Amino acid sequence: MRFWNAFALSLLLTGTAHAGTVTAYTALEEDEIAEYTAAAKKALPDVELKVLRLSTGDLGARILAEASNPQHDVIWGWAVTNMMDPRILNLLEPYKAKGVDKLAQPYHAADDKWFAATGYMAAFCVNNERVKAKGLPVPKDWADLLDPKFKGEVVMPNPVSSGTGYLQVVGILQQMGEEKGWKFLKDLDANVAQYIKSGSRPCKAARAGEFAVGTSLAFAGIQSVAEGFPVTMVIPASGAGYELEASALMKTSKNPADAKKFLDWTLSNDAAGIYGKYKEIVTTAGYKPGEVSIKAGLPEDVTKVLLPIDFAKSAKERDAILERWQKEIGR
Amino acid sequence: MSSTAAPARREFDIDRIFLGLCLVVPLAALAIFFAYPLATVFLRSITQQDGNIGVANYIQILNAPSFWRATINSLVMSLATTIAALACGLVVAYAVHRCRVPGRALLIGAVSLPLLAPSLVQGLGLIFLLGRNGILTKATGLEINIYGFWGLLIANGLYALPQAVLIIGAALRAADARIYEAAEILGTSGFRQFIDITLPNIKFGLLSAGFIIFTVTITDFGNAATIGGDYAILATEIYNQVVGQMNFNLGAVVGILLLFPTVIAFYLERVASQRQFGSVSDSAVPLVPVFTPRRDVVMTVAAWLVALLPIVTVVIVVYGSFVWLWPYRFDLTLRHYAVKVAGGYDPLWTTVQISVIAGVIGTALLFTLGIAMQHLPRAAAKPIYFICLLPAAVPGLVLGLAYIFAFNNPILPVYVLYGTATLLAICNVTHYWTQGFLTTMTGLRQVPPTLEETASCLGASQPRLLRDVIVPYMAPTLVSVFFFMFMRSMVTLSAVIFLVTASVSVVSVSIMRLDEAGFTSQAAAYATCTMAIVVAASLLMRASLWLLKRKG
Repeated sequence: MRFWNAFALSLLLTGTAHAGTVTAYTALEEDEIAEYTAAAKKALPDVELKVLRLSTGDLGARILAEASNPQHDVIWGWAVTNMMDPRILNLLEPYKAKGVDKLAQPYHAADDKWFAATGYMAAFCVNNERVKAKGLPVPKDWADLLDPKFKGEVVMPNPVSSGTGYLQVVGILQQMGEEKGWKFLKDLDANVAQYIKSGSRPCKAARAGEFAVGTSLAFAGIQSVAEGFPVTMVIPASGAGYELEASALMKTSKNPADAKKFLDWTLSNDAAGIYGKYKEIVTTAGYKPGEVSIKAGLPEDVTKVLLPIDFAKSAKERDAILERWQKEIGR
Repeated sequence: MSSTAAPARREFDIDRIFLGLCLVVPLAALAIFFAYPLATVFLRSITQQDGNIGVANYIQILNAPSFWRATINSLVMSLATTIAALACGLVVAYAVHRCRVPGRALLIGAVSLPLLAPSLVQGLGLIFLLGRNGILTKATGLEINIYGFWGLLIANGLYALPQAVLIIGAALRAADARIYEAAEILGTSGFRQFIDITLPNIKFGLLSAGFIIFTVTITDFGNAATIGGDYAILATEIYNQVVGQMNFNLGAVVGILLLFPTVIAFYLERVASQRQFGSVSDSAVPLVPVFTPRRDVVMTVAAWLVALLPIVTVVIVVYGSFVWLWPYRFDLTLRHYAVKVAGGYDPLWTTVQISVIAGVIGTALLFTLGIAMQHLPRAAAKPIYFICLLPAAVPGLVLGLAYIFAFNNPILPVYVLYGTATLLAICNVTHYWTQGFLTTMTGLRQVPPTLEETASCLGASQPRLLRDVIVPYMAPTLVSVFFFMFMRSMVTLSAVIFLVTASVSVVSVSIMRLDEAGFTSQAAAYATCTMAIVVAASLLMRASLWLLKRKG
């Protein structure tokens, strides 16, 4: 009987918000979310946190599709380049979270519509066994991948569908300049075996030995090394493109008081203590990466290897860059 | 059979009302949950960037070379898959229904595996096997390039095969042994019997199956994303527009344009099936195949060869879920079964509930609609038939987004359903409506019309006729439809990914999240648990069907 009651109830299961509920849409990774929510629950015992996790692209589609009647209170940890889409910014309520003033300038919006506690950056996953078997050198920088020996051994994320792919392309374009950058991307194209739809998959393909090099995320590399795959993580020597994971309050939030409490928490020392386990970039000043990351090859001060990315520019030029990429390189 | 004293007056009114309800309820459901969402997609496709209504989006898409490349790729892929899957499907269905081959239930089970496997499994299995570091690749030392056309063809073919077997099987089940006996007496060879009697009899089933395969292949996204490599197709084009560039309107254009190949395929199918196809008479004697060594040995080998591929693909993923670190450390472990995904195994139970609801709603609606359509004049049945074929032409991605546009509006009464498990179930019913519809219709065509007439002359009312004559005859088909809806709901991803909420989530989303987070083996473990549940449900259902048969 109880089963059937539960069954009948589940027919109308909804995310109905009762007082104290905060619904967050996030693109953070699965295992980190579990740990953050557990910690947040401890710090904010009367806030019930509900989380929907989707990939960066899927989440954007979801938020925009629901824009006429949003179902969430906050966006939590989502690519800032996507956040800067004017259609998204329109949905946001400016809020100066506690601790925002301690963040450096590029890590929060001037109008307080978003702030970023964490971020991720480009890195190569190199499969040691495949490199050895094929007699390839271990690449140190993007330019090394132009070596004809790498033909058919490099996989990149497709910038059209993947945020990671886009940050890699933007990194190259902003570092080398328009003209040289596009020429480089075209030259590199000759060696690229395929453009994969998601940002972490190139690393997975490389670690499974399908290809020698996957241009991917530092986090995917760190994780693969920690899991025991024969992978070396390489941060491009001339600097890595990166992306910030921004959080924001929705104008339509039905529970702004608790939503703000939660956003404050994401910048607290409490939260920063956990970020180190999962994040290559933590914006809180004076932060040190965790042991696993250092072991995998992440430098102590990550800011030194990051390229000076202009996010406003990369968000604004997004359509134009992707159109050109599809026309000249896309397959 | 009903032989009670017949009331003098036929129960016109009850019949009318009953048949009317049978027609109106499913059609209303289709209007609300299919036509209306699709209309919102159409509206998006003609909303220009400046907010005006016009065809600018269409012009932009039609002028893009990438669109035409994807179109050609999609057509080539769908045709190739259709031919391959029809041929293989016919082999298996024929072996099961018309030959004496060992392990028939196992054969059906084996080819059904891709239907009950979450979409990740096929891509993963093929990569484990034939990828550049796959087991077969390493064993043979060949550099097979699975990413692209061939990999996609195999994956699509695997997915299409069970649907082909289902529909062709429904057509092959009905056969009149007397015709074959007559042919035997006249000295017709087995091969000629197949060409002259069997093929014409199952033409309708073949055409329906071909249509379904073509349509589901052209709209499939999952396989293209895992194993398609750079082989761009229309469904990935939509994904790029919608998810990559957050441009719904251009994505909607491609979604609408995708309806065209399906409409054309539908038209061709109709033209071809205008010519008569055999139907079964009331006095048909069920065909019990006798053992014919020359035919049956060949068919056994052929059918099992076809079935081998889905078995190997699934088995290797199951095996992978128990291996410490694929493909480097092969010690066995259970560690991947402690999944780290938020919510753990909870979505598994939610999904079972959703799938049962989808199975019940879907089977009931399809069956009543089928009954009603049998009593409609041809001219009225035709447009309904057409509408019922359209859902297969809508990619899951488009359907899911359409549901948000259509139902996330507090003014509407249906808004109560938004964010509920029920809406997910309804979305699944809509998504797989066409396959269920074609199977139901193929099954209904095989209820001998004279049987129905006799019963109704004896004064049986429509509801009674349904209960005593049609349902018993249709039971195997109905169970197939229910089970098809159930299985697909257990594992489908593309549409529901836009409808899951923070509290209502499904298995396929958990599997995708695990895979995205880099826990491939955990994803395989989760997929294995899901398949175990579906298999258990399937065994349960087979057992109940068997009991049903014995009772009848």
